[in-house]
Amino acid sequence: MSLGKRVSNWFAERLGLDDLPFFKTPDYMFHANEWLGALVAASFIYTVISGLILLLYYNAAAGYQSTEAIINQVPYGSVVLYSHLYGSYAMIILAYVHMFRNYFVGAYKKPRELLWILGVLMLVLTLGASFLGYSLIGDALAVSAVDVGAGIVTSIPQLSFLIPIIFGNYDTGDYTRVLALHIILVALIGLLFVFHFFLAEHYGMMPSRKVKPKAPAVYTKEEWSKFNPWWPRNFVYMSSLVFMTWGFILAIPNALAYLNGLPQYFNPFMNPKPAPPPNSPAAAHITTYPPWFFLFLYKIADFTSDVVVFLMIGVIIPLIYLLIVPFLDRTDELHPLRRKVFSGIGILMITYLIQTSLWGDLAPGVQVSVKDQVIAYLVPAIIVALGLTFLNPMEQKVRPSSAISPMTSILFVVISLLFSGAVVQLIDYPSPLTFSIAMFLGSLFFLGARSMGSLVLNKNVSRSVPNRPVSEVNTSVMISNEKKKRLAEVIMSILFVLVVVIVAQMWTIPPTGYASNLFGVDLGLVFLMLGESISLYHYVVYKKPTEKEE
Amino acid sequence: MPLKVRIGNNEVRVLRSSDLYFVQKLLKAMRNPKTKFNSREFTTKGEEYLFNYVSKNVGGVDEGRRNFLKGIVIGVAAATVVGIIPGLRVLVPPVEQASGFPKSLLLDSSGNPLKASLIPVNSPIITLYEYPLTGEPNFLLNLGDKDGNPISISPIDVVVPQTGKTYKFPGGVGPHNSIVSYSAICQHLGCTPPYIHFYPPGNVSPSQLTAPEPDTLTAQALLAAKQANVPALIHCDCHGSTYDPYKGAAVLTGPTQRPLPTILLEYDSSTDYLYATGALGVATYPEGSDGIPSQDPTKDLDTSQYGSSVGDKTQVQANTNPFS
Ligand code: FES
Repeated sequence: MSLGKRVSNWFAERLGLDDLPFFKTPDYMFHANEWLGALVAASFIYTVISGLILLLYYNAAAGYQSTEAIINQVPYGSVVLYSHLYGSYAMIILAYVHMFRNYFVGAYKKPRELLWILGVLMLVLTLGASFLGYSLIGDALAVSAVDVGAGIVTSIPQLSFLIPIIFGNYDTGDYTRVLALHIILVALIGLLFVFHFFLAEHYGMMPSRKVKPKAPAVYTKEEWSKFNPWWPRNFVYMSSLVFMTWGFILAIPNALAYLNGLPQYFNPFMNPKPAPPPNSPAAAHITTYPPWFFLFLYKIADFTSDVVVFLMIGVIIPLIYLLIVPFLDRTDELHPLRRKVFSGIGILMITYLIQTSLWGDLAPGVQVSVKDQVIAYLVPAIIVALGLTFLNPMEQKVRPSSAISPMTSILFVVISLLFSGAVVQLIDYPSPLTFSIAMFLGSLFFLGARSMGSLVLNKNVSRSVPNRPVSEVNTSVMISNEKKKRLAEVIMSILFVLVVVIVAQMWTIPPTGYASNLFGVDLGLVFLMLGESISLYHYVVYKKPTEKEE
Repeated sequence: MPLKVRIGNNEVRVLRSSDLYFVQKLLKAMRNPKTKFNSREFTTKGEEYLFNYVSKNVGGVDEGRRNFLKGIVIGVAAATVVGIIPGLRVLVPPVEQASGFPKSLLLDSSGNPLKASLIPVNSPIITLYEYPLTGEPNFLLNLGDKDGNPISISPIDVVVPQTGKTYKFPGGVGPHNSIVSYSAICQHLGCTPPYIHFYPPGNVSPSQLTAPEPDTLTAQALLAAKQANVPALIHCDCHGSTYDPYKGAAVLTGPTQRPLPTILLEYDSSTDYLYATGALGVATYPEGSDGIPSQDPTKDLDTSQYGSSVGDKTQVQANTNPFS
């Protein structure tokens, strides 16, 4: 036995890795959209770590000044701060994706009701913690967000006792209490996460509808004990996802930090930098907007001047609906087209959320007449209702969505954006580094474009049904797999060289000042490449020849 | 040596040496009692069992390739760690050290440059700005006579009673040469406003003897003012030190043994802006080992415990009127 093997065996024995009670994963589940929860957890962990680093420097008595000091004086402080912000953005987006994906596959049904409710509560806590975190910056936007939030609470007299509880004596600009609550909420998320995680492990991941078409969709102990054990395959796959998530969280905001003078309506989404302080003359000239994840609420406030109605539409009704949906939808059907009402509500929730958020971004604070409201919200409802009435579940038909998972398409969009950014950077600052980054992202882009293109252009790609015992191992499949594995090896070697080049460059980046955000971009790229090479390793080493291709 | 079979005109490779090796390994594993191949399970579960069995016991990928790939992954991970190392500097707090006095533009409370000609004469409101470090307040005074007309403040030698040494106070600046600035930290034991503040001419009167803190004047201070013939004072209510704002904040009454340090101001007559450019006299914090103050005000700048450099701008705040 080699030394490495002995060492890993030593740990495997001591840690009991072979008999961890974790759910074992069937082959067909090695897909990003079965692992959305892991992605949320990865961004949560990243945000906690970066937040703890910020906690070393943040001074609640001087919110804005200490934020500025973190950005300008602490070594790589801006890298940590911006990625902390985008870590929470990633967590919010991924939590929504995770939630709606599970909504549409009916994962809230028996026996996972409690799991679902915990998840919804965690989403609420996440939004709350993000709002408080956003306030901690102490810039003009944060102050206006706090003012709006406080205004909503105070306008309901019965609720105004909450003001000192939430904000303390907030007009003194002392954010001690906001900071404390921010941390408390995050700690609560962590606590619920433990329950959520262990419940998820207990019931196992939700099997494919093709395996378990009806409601208590769980693998029996007998079934799942045959699947891939947590160690090492699940672990390898999971770490590739974790590192990729971290890579995006680091690379995107630090690259965005170099964009300047964006049009106002991009600001809520694409500007990681703080606005001017509230008492400065510059503050008078900026359009204030809430954090993007509350833009929808901001717009709903334009619909009605009655705060109670506003809270009902914007917060309470959707929230209660999500909490009790496991008890409303009591059939054992899992197919979204056999639960048309609930699927329709789900589609409309997503549509309304995005629609209202964009509306709030483009026309903030513009009053909307009742007629316009009706038109804006009735049209999608009618389309969805009509669409669902005429759509019926088709058996054994290839749905295009099963070919491109939503995660893949999001990834592809992000990569395209990064690629175009890298090209701009290359044109602005031609150097071997920018060239290699552009080349790297370019190759990812073209790989993505090719695979997406073949799916879009060539409709009759045949796909095998997952996890069905395959009757024969086709030699041509073997050979094409072999080719792909060769290619994967080559890509991994290239990645290794690229990583070494970038790491060498990282040592030369100054810790503060304009160039320091490049460190974040580079570290993000390195994490992405680490994740990618682990994922390729997983592909080459663990992928079975009969497994469905991603 | 690949094994070849001829079908028609085509030569087809059937087995490569690596395949033979694989078969050999598989057979060995199947014979091994520990990893015995269960043929009954195979007949019931079919191919799936075979695949699981093979990948578990023989490994789908040959050992050499697996190790090579593992090596690359470990290499990338190691490089990532190397890349993170410089980032650990985020844990080292930046040393806040002002190496010299910055030239700081004085701003009014709304952030615009302060106009020197608009500073009220003999204002009773405590007017302060931080310089050279945050947390170090200084008075900004536009001095006038009894009737509120600005007075030109001329240069003068100031004595430090503790050491007997003197330094040259450069006089006032501004349109009437009437604007001066002194440290607002009492040189006795370090009281700060509102305990130490400026008493305009109207408040240097016996009625102040009975005024509540922090507006009390001692009889000594009144007497000293009369003797020196100064209409206004800087007085510290903590223990009664009195300074002469017209003469470089020289000591009028103890217990202080040092004058207030002067902040050097620069006046730009074309814009009417004021800049703080340095300090003069004694160090703000006289904490020399022998209790003797340094004549060199930059001594204080080496220590970071009093804040960080204010940079090229500093805001003037006039919030408190102690007499109201
Ligand atoms: S501290 Fe000012 S007189 Fe003592």
